[in-house]
Amino acid sequence: MIRGLFTLLSFISVILFPWLLTVLLTLGVSIFEPLVPLAIGIFADTLYYTPQAGALPLFAIYGAIVTALSFLVRSQLKTSIIGR
Amino acid sequence: MKRTFLAKRNALLSSGSVSWGTLVLAIAVLLLLVRLIAPNFFWYLFTPAFRASEAIAQKTDSLFSGFNNAVTLTQENEALENQNALLAAQNEALLEKTGSIAGLAIDAQSITAGVVARPPESPYDTLVIAAGSADGVTINQEAFGEGEVPLGTITSVFAHFSRVTLFSAPNVSLLGWVGSKHLPIIIRGSGGGAISASVPRSDSVAVGDVVSVPGPGSLPIGTVVRVDSDSSSPSVTLRIQPSLNLFSVTWVTLRDSGTALESAFAATTTLP
Repeated sequence: MIRGLFTLLSFISVILFPWLLTVLLTLGVSIFEPLVPLAIGIFADTLYYTPQAGALPLFAIYGAIVTALSFLVRSQLKTSIIGR
Repeated sequence: MKRTFLAKRNALLSSGSVSWGTLVLAIAVLLLLVRLIAPNFFWYLFTPAFRASEAIAQKTDSLFSGFNNAVTLTQENEALENQNALLAAQNEALLEKTGSIAGLAIDAQSITAGVVARPPESPYDTLVIAAGSADGVTINQEAFGEGEVPLGTITSVFAHFSRVTLFSAPNVSLLGWVGSKHLPIIIRGSGGGAISASVPRSDSVAVGDVVSVPGPGSLPIGTVVRVDSDSSSPSVTLRIQPSLNLFSVTWVTLRDSGTALESAFAATTTLP
């Protein structure tokens, strides 16, 4: 339940809170939910991405990178118990 | 025989396998699709959210700007305190200086008086000043202008007013010096603010030489601006421009400057 709460909070923070708080929340949640950074990145680009600002959807890319790192760390440290 | 059916479980949607991350990822992708397929509906859907975001941003900005104002006020307060301390120190120093100047003035027994009338309000080459016998003014005191430039002597004293006869008055003469060699000369008033002197032709006096009179030391009274020579005369006449415009003086200082100047005036003829 706590995971869900923090996931929802980081999702809402994309709209309401400063970006730094969103990053911190997402990084915190990514320990338990590796897919959340990717989801948050896609959501941020859905809201804020404009082709005029840049060619690449950077939020989604950064989210994907953090998600990949999170999966890597979890697999290396064998933290499967966290994911259960 | 009763057959046992295992409950069919969806691997993707079962509550046990769907994590929060998967759920929000699915929602994010869904929203992305909505934006790509129906952008108008997407922005209609999220406009209230953006408005709320803007309101929150404004409130947080005002909150943080309040902290910024507090910091600015603190810095301004410190700067003002420093400035106040500096001004207090300067004030102290000025008060001390004023006290020392007042002490000097008392020691010198000088009287400062404003000029009430000057030519053409007063007779030519005289000043009427706002200090008299009630203020300690006595006849034959010397009047000095700004920069300790001798101007004249007191010739009449009333209770609250006095008259200063300037050195430029006709028939007023006094001893003085000219040039760097301090050649002794007799300075005569020519009237109308003009001063002149005669020196032997053999003396090398040039335009620009400073003319001074005895006082406490040697006090400059003017500068030679022209040297008039007559071939039939053994002497030359020096036209002297006073150091101060005698008719523009606004205040004078009166005091007894010493025996030298006094004795010089004792041998002179002044206007009544």
